[in-house]
Formats: sequence, C-alpha cells, structure tokens
Amino acid sequence: MAIHPAGQRRLGVLGLLSPAYLWLTVAIFLPLSAMLYFSVLSDVPFGDTDWHYSLENYRAFWENPVYATLLWKSVKLGLMVTLVSVLVGFPCAYVLAKVIRGRARETLFLLVILPFWSNSLVRIFSWAIVLRGNGVLERSLNAILPFEVDVNLMFSTAAVVIGLVHSYLPYVILTSYLGLQAIDDSLIDAARSMGAGKLTILARVILPLALPGVLAGAVLIFVPVVGSFMEPRILGGRVGTYYGTVIEDQFVAVFNWPLGAALSFVLLAVVLGILALASPILRKAQT
Amino acid sequence: MSALAYRTLGLIWLGAVLFFLYAPILVMAAMSFNASEFYQLPFRFSTQWYARLADNQEILDAAARSVLIALCVTAIATTLGSMASIAMFRHEFRGKRLLQVLLFPPIAIPWLITGTAMLIFFFGVGLGRGTPAVIIGHVALAIPYVIVVVTARLATFDPTLEEAARALGADAWTVTRRVTLPWIAPGIVAGALFAFAVSFDQFVVSYFLSEPGDSTLPVLIYTAIRKGFTPEINAISTIIITLSMTVMLIAARYSKFGGDR
Amino acid sequence: MKLAALLSTAALMATPALADEIRVLNWQGYGTDLGWATQAFAEATGHSVTHEYFNSEQEMLTKMRTNPGAYDVVLINAAFTTQAQEEGLIAAIDPAPMKNFAGIPANMAQNPDLNPGGALHGVPWTWGLTSFAVNTNDVKDIPTTIQVFWDPEYKGKVSIRDDALEAVQFAAIATGQDINDIQDLEAVREKLAALMPQIKTYWGSENDWNQFMASGEFEVATIWSGSAARSQSKGLPVQFVVPQEGAIAWLDGLSIPESSTHKEAALAFIDWMIDPAFYVKWDAEGAPASANGAAAAALPDESFNKRVLGDPDVVARVQFQRPVSEENRKAYLELWQALKAAQ
Repeated sequence: MAIHPAGQRRLGVLGLLSPAYLWLTVAIFLPLSAMLYFSVLSDVPFGDTDWHYSLENYRAFWENPVYATLLWKSVKLGLMVTLVSVLVGFPCAYVLAKVIRGRARETLFLLVILPFWSNSLVRIFSWAIVLRGNGVLERSLNAILPFEVDVNLMFSTAAVVIGLVHSYLPYVILTSYLGLQAIDDSLIDAARSMGAGKLTILARVILPLALPGVLAGAVLIFVPVVGSFMEPRILGGRVGTYYGTVIEDQFVAVFNWPLGAALSFVLLAVVLGILALASPILRKAQT
Repeated sequence: MSALAYRTLGLIWLGAVLFFLYAPILVMAAMSFNASEFYQLPFRFSTQWYARLADNQEILDAAARSVLIALCVTAIATTLGSMASIAMFRHEFRGKRLLQVLLFPPIAIPWLITGTAMLIFFFGVGLGRGTPAVIIGHVALAIPYVIVVVTARLATFDPTLEEAARALGADAWTVTRRVTLPWIAPGIVAGALFAFAVSFDQFVVSYFLSEPGDSTLPVLIYTAIRKGFTPEINAISTIIITLSMTVMLIAARYSKFGGDR
Repeated sequence: MKLAALLSTAALMATPALADEIRVLNWQGYGTDLGWATQAFAEATGHSVTHEYFNSEQEMLTKMRTNPGAYDVVLINAAFTTQAQEEGLIAAIDPAPMKNFAGIPANMAQNPDLNPGGALHGVPWTWGLTSFAVNTNDVKDIPTTIQVFWDPEYKGKVSIRDDALEAVQFAAIATGQDINDIQDLEAVREKLAALMPQIKTYWGSENDWNQFMASGEFEVATIWSGSAARSQSKGLPVQFVVPQEGAIAWLDGLSIPESSTHKEAALAFIDWMIDPAFYVKWDAEGAPASANGAAAAALPDESFNKRVLGDPDVVARVQFQRPVSEENRKAYLELWQALKAAQ
C-alpha cells in the first residue's frame, strides 16, 4: 500500500516544481527556442522569402568589431551599476534590518520598493528633468549654495549610471535585507563580547551570512543592466549607445530578427559565462 | 565612535537613499501640477492635467486594466515561484543546477526579443493575443524574480527546523504552513512586490500581446512618447503611487512580514 | 466591376444599417485617431473606429504578418507599400466609391510606389518633409543652408533623429547626392563623423524634441514638417527651414489589408480621411501636407502647409524617398551604428 518514500519524495518535488517550470516552458523557453532557430536562418521565413540555414549571424558578431566593443562597454556598465548599487544598498539594508525596530521596519521596507511601482519611462523622463542643464538639480543647488554652480549631468555616462542605479537599487536593498534580518543578534553580541572589532564582525560574521542575499541582488541587477537600452539612450544621449541599442535596432530599423536574436544569445552566453566564472570565487568567499 | 553615532549615521544614510529613490517621483508629481506641457521650468501651478485626465477614459481604463493584470500576475507568479523555491531548497536532485540556470534567460534576454518571440510563438500555436496572453507572458517574466528572491531568503533557513517538526509528528503540509512559510514570509512578500512591479511596468510584452483598444498603461505611455507625452501621464502616475502608498502603509500597519521574531 | 462599385457606393450611403468596428493601425497622434474626426465618422456612417499603434514601419509589417484579420486600415509609407503588396499583406483598392478621390492629382494617385503591379494599393493621404528647424530664441539669423549643422557656433546644440536611414539620407543631401541612389557612401560617413561632435543627443520622438527645444537644449535639429507645424501651433519658438540643398520628402498612403473583413467600411473611412473638410480642421492643429489637391487648396492662406510646402520653389528642391533595398538598409545601419559606437 505504502508508496516508496523515495517515490513519494520525487512526486512531491515534481508537484512543487512543475507548475512554475511548465509555465516558463510554454511562455518563455519554447518561444526563445523558436528565436534560437531563427538565429541560424539567413532570413525570416515569412511570406516567400528565400532562406537557408547559416551561421552568418553569429559570424557577424566576430567580423564587425562594433558588437564586441559595445558588449564590453555594456559589461563594464553592468559591473559599475552593480557595484554602486551594492555599496549604496547594503548599508541601507543593514540599517533597516538591524537598527530599525518594530512597525517602522515594515513601513520602510515598503517605501523602498514603492518607487519601483511607477512607470520606468516616466521615471527616466523625470531624471532628465532633474539632471539637465538649468534643471531641478542645478536650480536647487543654486538656491542652497552661496555661489553659482553649473551642473549639467544630462547626456553623460554619469546620468546613465544614476538612472540605472535608481531603477535597480531596490533589488539589492531587499535581498540584502532578507539575509541580514535572518542573522541572530545574539551571534553578533557573542562576537562582540569575545572582543571582536566592528570590522572583524562585519567581515567574519555578517558578510558571510548575508552573502547569498547580496549576491542574489547583484545578479538581479547585473543581468538586466547589460542588456538595457532605454535608460542609456534617453539619459546618455550621444554616449548612450550600448549593446542593447544595437539589438533594439535590429528589430526596429531593419527587419532582421535573425541577427537580433543571434546578438541576444551571444549576450546571454557572455552573461552566463561571467556568472559561471564568478561563482567559484564567490563560493570561496562565502566559506 | 559611539554606538549612537553609528546609529545616527546609519539613519542619515537610509534617509539619503530614500530621498534619492523618491527624487524623481517627487519631480514626476510636481510636474503633474506644472502648467507647461513641455515640462518647462520655472514651475507654474495648475490642475489642468488632472481635469484633462478625468475626461480621458482611455488612460483611466488602461490604468485599471494594468492594476487588474498585475494583481493576477502577482498571485500566480508568487504562488508558483514560492513552490518551486521550496522544492529546490528541500531536495537535492539531478538537473537542479540546470533548472536554476534556466531562470536567467528571461532576465538576461532583452524584453524586446522575448516579446517578439512570444508574439511569433503564440501566433504559431494559435493562442493569439489578448489579456490572457498578456497574463501568461507576465507571469513567466515574474516567476524567475520570485524564485531568486525567495531562494535568497530560504538560504538563511535552518533545515533541521523542518526535520524537528517532522520528528514531532507534523505532516508535510503542517511543516510548510507552521514552520517554513512564516520564516520565508519576508521573502515571499518581497517576491510578490517584485512580481507586481515586473507586470505593472512591463510594456514590451504587453505591447506585442495586447489587443487594439485593450492596452495597458505602460503600453499607452510607450506609444505616447512618440507624439505627445503630456503631464496627464504624470497625473495618473501620481494618483497610482499615492494610492499604492496608502494601501501599503495600511498593510504595514496591520501585518507583520518584516521577519520580527 | 462597375456594378460592384455602384453597389458599394450604395452600401456606403446606407451604412448606418450595418455598423462595423474598423481597426486602424497607425502612428499615434497621426490624424486617424483625432477624437472629433472618428466621432463624426461614427455619427455619419455608424462605424466605430479603434486604434492600434506602431513605432516603426518594420513593426507595422510584423504586426500585419502575425495578426491576419486584425486590421482594416493601415498607414503605410509609400517606400514600404510595394513590399507589403509583394508579401500579399494588402489588397488592391478600387477608388471608384470614394467621392473625395477625384481631388487627388494624377502624380500622387499614380505614384509608382503606391501602385505596385499597376494597381492602387495605397490611397495617397499625406506627405511632408524631413528637414530641420531652429530655435528662434537663440538663432536670430534663420539659416538657409544645411551646413549650419556643422557650424562650430552651434556645437553641442545640434540634434538629428536616431535613425540610420534618415541620418544617411540627411548626409547625402549635405554632400549633394541623390538620396535614393547614394554613390559615395564614404563621403556620407565622413560628413556624419564630422557631425558627431556637434550633437547634443539624438532625438527619438516628437515628444523628446519638443521638450529639448522648450528647455533650450537644442538650437538646430532635424524635424518633420508636420511636427514643426504642430510645435509652432503649441507656442514653441521654432522655425522650419527647407535649405537650399533640398530636403527629404515622404508620402504616406492608407491601405487596406488583404485579410480585412470590413473592406467597405475601411474604404469609407479612407474617404473620410481624404475629405478636404477633415483636412482643413486637422491642419489647424498642425498636420502634414495633404496629398489631396482639393484639400490643400481649401487651406487658409496663412496655414503653414500652404505657406511653406505649397511654395513651388520648395517643392522643386525636395527629393521623395523611394523604397530602400534590404542590402542598403543593412549597410546604412552598420555605418550609423559604427559611428554611434565610436562616441
């Protein structure tokens, strides 16, 4: 009568996992597989276009130095935005998890994520109003400061980084919070009573325990930023051309999905490669 | 430095970050009360955009539709995502790494490609477009975020607690409900908030999958930036953010999910 | 054929009896979705109108391919009509039932790009120029040459649209070439490379453009004639210029998808759109030029479209865009991307 425990266990895993993954399969993996298929075609098989299998789209990546240059630029932007977000967000999460107590914490927790619920385009345009010459930032600074300053951050890499950090900061704050909040205060007290300094406690007790959360946040920032194109284009202006821009162009300007898809899969491979390279180092840091 | 100084410094930092997060939101709200159609400074007060918004049934409908879709998506994605995270946390099995890696394509591949892929695929299999297709697409985009966030919280969970409860005779469901879920509640709430944000701000997939005359607010905004992105958009955004803030603050008042022990 | 035309005219007259919902695929804010116009159309014919928008011609084609039956009227730039016809996306149009078609001059009605295979597939609706405008707050002497973009005086105050085809054709005009047959692409590249340091940012939409002009970020920027007229009517300090070197001209037609299930109602709507009465009212809000001679003639004398685009000197120096081969499109995009990536 009794189901073998291992069999029951397998059933349980399957029951919990399959709804999510079936959904992902139908709505993401199968469509993306179709795209992968398109990326090895010479032309889109609609109407009576002539097409054949070809790796030319992937070859284009190697042959045209523009793509590699921009991908490297995007990776650097991703690292930069991730680093800034972690440095800004982690202390914030720490305060939220360890300094604030009671009801205020839930409220602040929600306040951190609420800006996320506004429309990203509206947010970007609002940043443009703040950062541009004679904009909100310059006017406010001149109202406060006794001397005149000339601040025009618009259309610079700094503007792109500000806009992106703003868009992705809540991720790292909340995931770090989830890790930090789980650390038992008595552990920190114990370390302190044994004479450990603040830095030692941070490096040996808090960071290792909070790391999974920080990493989850960092990954959730790094991965989409590398492919971003909206913020760079609107806030970066002339210097705002990134890898995501050329992918977008393949869809919007020329009807070249195969190349657009190929460029996206190269992006995916590079991002996964970076994460794979980073994971042993990070795992080491964790122990 | 004394503990108090650290505390004060920490609070100042948190305050500064909150200010940074809200700066563009405040500007957005201010511009909804600015008379200039082109967001020109200096500021001149006017409520004309709200008056025009009240007459703009298209925007109001789209906003309501977006909220409804986002609520559906949040409910489905949070449930499915949390279930999957718990399964991956509890059990070691072959292919687990692969399943985790598979969460990255939806996040890494620009939405433009995913949206086009969905359009072609849904068209190919006869699912077509419309609100159901939009929801299917959004849920799929939100699930990876939920799984990553809930898994991050689960990483702090001591599995021996589950074993102890089981040893005391609790069945699987009781263990989940009384031991596991309360611990990961902050993660689930964060995951749900992200899922809502993903759906509520998603324009590419909705843009490709929604039916004419049935579009969501982000789609309306995305298509409006071509010709006329008037402060009416700011007005509706301000109303939405004010409403959600109110709802959230009430929720925070009457619930505990911050993980206080 | 004649009988069919007669019958459909009769059907048009009796339309309130059969009310259809027609779906229009167009740029947003481009005439067909003016509330007062669709409302009046619904009152006159009983047909309601819903809209879907696109942000690029390629997207419009994709939407038609993947959503057969979803649209009844589609706005197609003449440079793309032939492609749409070759893919079997749009139907031939018999203009006979349209009472306003007679006003369209032969050179428009018989435009080869709108008549692929010798049959009308797009009803000429509007045309306009892609040229540039200056900010009259900062630029006192209105320039007459396109070379003003390279003038060091306006360094960092210049903008062009982020569009490979437009950028290349713009530089072709600046280097004295035929936009539809660019012989010296290297000269175009060099001209654009020299322009890059002058540029503040590329603009993407009319909305960006208006804001940048309003905030004084732009002094000289490319723009479409209809948009310039609209910006002017909203009180922005801009002046549209058609330089002595000429400008890019384009023609937009209204087409009916092969898969449309409301072809008669669609035709009635197109007839409504080329009606001079509609156009005169639209023009007052800022519109592109009408392809209907009768509509253009009905404009008041001070209208932008009559003053600027009605000038025979202007008409003589513009170059109409022809279809662009896939190969050239790719080459232009690569050129433009390489220039942008080098910044």
